[in-house]
Amino acid sequence: MTRQRSRAKNLAIVAGLRTPFCRAQGAMQGAFAADLGTFATRELLDRTGIDPAAIDEVILGCAGPDAREANVARVVALRAGLPETTPAMTVMRNCASGLEALVTAQHKLAAGEGEVFLVGGTESMSNFPLMMGPKLVKFFMRLQKAKTLGRRLAALASFRPRSLKPRIAIMEGLTDPTTGLMMGNTAELVARRFEITREEMDDYALRSHQRAAQAVASSAFDAEIAPYVAPPRFAAAVTGDDGVRTDQSREALGRLRPVFDRHHGDVTVGNSCQVTDGAVVLLCMSAAKAKKLKLEPLAFVRGHATAALSPATMGLGPVHATPRALERAEIDLQAIDRIELNEAFAAQVLGCQRAFASADYCQQQLGLDAPIGELDDDKLNVHGGAIALGHPIAATGARLVLTLAQQLRQNDLRYGLATLCIGGGQGQAVVLEAA
Amino acid sequence: MSSSSTKSDRPGSEPTTAKRQTGDIASTGNAGATTVDCRIGEDGIAELRLGGPEESVVTFTAERLDALESAIAKLRSDRRLRGVIVTGPGPRMFCAGADVKLIQDITEPAAGERAATRGREVFAGLRALPVPVVAAIEGPCLGGGFELALFCDLRIASSDRSTQIGLPEVKLGIVPGFGGTYNLSRLVGLPAALDLVLTGRMLRGKPAWKRGLVDHLVPPEKLLATAHRECLALADKGKKGPERRLRGMAWWLSKTPLRRLVVRAATKKLATGQAKFYPAPKTALSCCTNAFTMPAEQALAAEARALGAMIVTPESKGLTHLFFLTERSKRLGKSEDAGAVDRALVVGGGVMGAGIAGLLANKGRDVRLCDLDLDALARAKARLQKDLDKRTRRRRLERHEARAIQDRLAIGTDWGHLGRTDLWLEAVVEDMGVKQQLMAAAIARGLPRDAVIATNTSSLSVTEMADNVVQRDRVVGIHFFNPPEKMPLVEIIRGEHTSERAVATACKLAVGLGKFPVITTDAPGFLVNRCLSPYLNEAARLLVEGTSPEAIDAAMLDFGMPMGPCRLLDEVGFDVATKVSEVMHNGFPDRMQPCELFAAMVKAGALGQKTGGGIYGAAGKGQGPGRRVIESLRSQRTAPGREASRSELVQRLIYPLVDEAYRCLDSGIVASEDDLDLGLVMGIGFPPFTGGITRFAKREGRAAVVAALDELSRTLGPRFAVSDGLRRRAVE
Repeated sequence: MTRQRSRAKNLAIVAGLRTPFCRAQGAMQGAFAADLGTFATRELLDRTGIDPAAIDEVILGCAGPDAREANVARVVALRAGLPETTPAMTVMRNCASGLEALVTAQHKLAAGEGEVFLVGGTESMSNFPLMMGPKLVKFFMRLQKAKTLGRRLAALASFRPRSLKPRIAIMEGLTDPTTGLMMGNTAELVARRFEITREEMDDYALRSHQRAAQAVASSAFDAEIAPYVAPPRFAAAVTGDDGVRTDQSREALGRLRPVFDRHHGDVTVGNSCQVTDGAVVLLCMSAAKAKKLKLEPLAFVRGHATAALSPATMGLGPVHATPRALERAEIDLQAIDRIELNEAFAAQVLGCQRAFASADYCQQQLGLDAPIGELDDDKLNVHGGAIALGHPIAATGARLVLTLAQQLRQNDLRYGLATLCIGGGQGQAVVLEAA
Repeated sequence: MSSSSTKSDRPGSEPTTAKRQTGDIASTGNAGATTVDCRIGEDGIAELRLGGPEESVVTFTAERLDALESAIAKLRSDRRLRGVIVTGPGPRMFCAGADVKLIQDITEPAAGERAATRGREVFAGLRALPVPVVAAIEGPCLGGGFELALFCDLRIASSDRSTQIGLPEVKLGIVPGFGGTYNLSRLVGLPAALDLVLTGRMLRGKPAWKRGLVDHLVPPEKLLATAHRECLALADKGKKGPERRLRGMAWWLSKTPLRRLVVRAATKKLATGQAKFYPAPKTALSCCTNAFTMPAEQALAAEARALGAMIVTPESKGLTHLFFLTERSKRLGKSEDAGAVDRALVVGGGVMGAGIAGLLANKGRDVRLCDLDLDALARAKARLQKDLDKRTRRRRLERHEARAIQDRLAIGTDWGHLGRTDLWLEAVVEDMGVKQQLMAAAIARGLPRDAVIATNTSSLSVTEMADNVVQRDRVVGIHFFNPPEKMPLVEIIRGEHTSERAVATACKLAVGLGKFPVITTDAPGFLVNRCLSPYLNEAARLLVEGTSPEAIDAAMLDFGMPMGPCRLLDEVGFDVATKVSEVMHNGFPDRMQPCELFAAMVKAGALGQKTGGGIYGAAGKGQGPGRRVIESLRSQRTAPGREASRSELVQRLIYPLVDEAYRCLDSGIVASEDDLDLGLVMGIGFPPFTGGITRFAKREGRAAVVAALDELSRTLGPRFAVSDGLRRRAVE
């Protein structure tokens, strides 16, 4: 069931670009989120030749901006040479922030609040901070308040080496505060619920690497990656994603110890997404504006939805968001030619696959009469996913859209679905239609 | 100009009414350049403006001094007066110093001394007033302008970026003459004063405040209000100014015999390198020292005498001449035809391309540097960062400014979309075919019609390069010198078809980048490389004949060149020198036969610094592998080897340069002697104190140059043959 409808209010994606995705504390560790975003934005402007003044707003996702660049989108806009009069906002919906940026632009277009948007996401997980622990904070407060020498000495004497233990932002950020579960633990829950085995997870992880390696070998990412030279030393150009392991063996994956549930778990670093730096930007506008600027759209946003569920099984978010997005797009799952479902954990992708096809789950959780449908392996994450490429949190959503749009175009396909699970128990989905 | 002329001379003019309301007591002069505007407010504070609102640049002329004198005289007799604020005509201008034209025109030491004494006495009138006098400074406050401020009781500077304070007199070959050396030395102490006076360095507001040149630093909007407040505060206390005395190290190094340490260090510095050719800094040093060894009257009189002595030196005349040439060159950037270059594409990520791109980014342009070699592009970013880091460490640049510069330099293997490009510039290998193809590609890829296409070629014909370009009128040569960040000259090459607009745009860009453009026509080597060619060639011949490189370089350093020709060859590299010399040989077969040393050095792989040594060792020290090459060439010669004398070295190296320069003028490469003077000083470092090569030739006597060249031509060959143009001028 598909039908033609007006695209006047649908956002057209006319161009997109990203930095290479590099493992955290690696080739791009000197670059902060704003550095990565600025580079990608400048490069996109250079390549499209669009007048920056034509852009109505910059909307970027970022889950962990540096303290010096809290509204990282505004910093990026100014540093990238956009006029000072162009507004910019940073959006935050954890893992889906980059997709949320696109959805926000779609909302603004529909509401008549602008026609041209630069959206995307940027993340430097290398620069997620180590913070002072509460004991250290108290120590410093005591020291500051002490006015007399005696009190000052007393304050100094209260120091204990264990107060030096830092708070690690990335660990705390990846722990759900309402359930106390780390993201990996939620994946364990999904695995238990759908009886997903360690073998299945590792098989899936291996396939992600193989598919990504194949995509790299066939230059599938060339159109979307701009070579990046990272500050502060600008030592060498990074030309491609460095998380893909072409020599990944199934045995090596099998040897890894589970990390989240050390005794009974199955989720390992090998079948989870990688911790990565990267930025993605997309130039989006109304169809009319694209025509006026003589820019050829890659794809249109046809429908989108956001849904929420139990934080404990946040990995199933796509199952909840997708049916609504399909409904709004007025198409069936069968009509979708390519699916980019973020690989937070192999267990969670496999869980989604089961849930999509499960009459039980769809009935109990979503109140549907029938299962949503099968997530066909031949359509799902055909260029690999975050297990191989990495998951720079807020950049990923935009990368899925960019990769999807490129695939639709390169293979002359019509519909695509980009969806992510979101820490905290949400899911977001966007249906794209080729131009 | 009568200093007694009043407001009635300007009937109906707007300022008149304004002045009447504020109680105008002295308005002098009716031409812009001489105005000193003085009005006294209700609170008894007089505002003394050094010029009318229409003046964008204020300088001291004799008339303005007269006007200032009479204004001060009237203030003195005004009973309401409680204080005076001295300031510029408006925002961003205080006073840029004495009129350089006047400096240039003084030819008698006595006249110079008189002018200095006169200025100082007028300024001293401010200090003699019984009320506090406050200088409110924004914009240039230089030379005589700062000397005036030094006679005030309190100095307040605006933190505006335009604020520039200093005593740059030595840059014109003179010393401060209006009491500047004395007053500054007494104010900040000898070491700090010397640091400014001997270098002519100019400081922005904040560093000037930190060094004590001004008492307060305030935001621009609060400058006058603060001046009023401080002035009133002093007046209320019945004080003329704050108490001042030197403290700490400044006191020890100024007022005690330890002073000698400072003097000795400065003297030593002034005797080394090129500094030894300039008498003014040495004279300024003794003037500053006088401030602590003589009574004030005597020191000030000595300073005026020193100015008189310096102002007539040939060095000063040479430097003022060059000053006008640089001003003239900057005016080339003001043409109405010129387009703006905000976005540039530089093709070729080699040393030149990277340098030019970095320079563009530094000067606020968005630039994309393209090369197929990503590593070269990374090196370009790294090179820029190294420079930025250095400037950030030295506090010349804020961290966010440095980051913005680096942001502006984009790199890529592809050109991107050319639709918003204003300038396309290539700096790829010197290959006509490649360059022509790239230019054609730029147009095919949609370079906008009004974008300029430029080449940084140093040896190829711009006209020929444009042959395949459909719109060849916009092809122009913009020849930067290596390293582009530092070298001040840019040759703008007008090909046969180049439009006025392209030339004007290139000139405007060059000026915008802080360079001095010289327009040349399209002939082998343009101006600089063409003149350099016989010079370097002859140096090579001298080497082969038996003169040591150390002797050659020493002779040229003594002549005043910044670097000897042998060292220069090492820096340029013999590969480049060979290529250029071939081009020059093709262009001028009878005069510019390359010396066999070039090819031999290339064959031996002793290219210079880039290969770990040429004539000198790798780091420019000791002997390099090239010495063996020279030795083997010497041994192949039939004639006995010999060392050339100092005077022969100058004649053989410099005189052909003079001849070649005049040939360039006569064949229309450049339009005037001024271009020759500026081009060779800025391009090859011809000694600035000479005032340029034609000034040098005239002082040396062109007839003598011709006679010497004729003699050389007889003994050493026709490469020294004198051009008709120079011969004709010799008898003028």
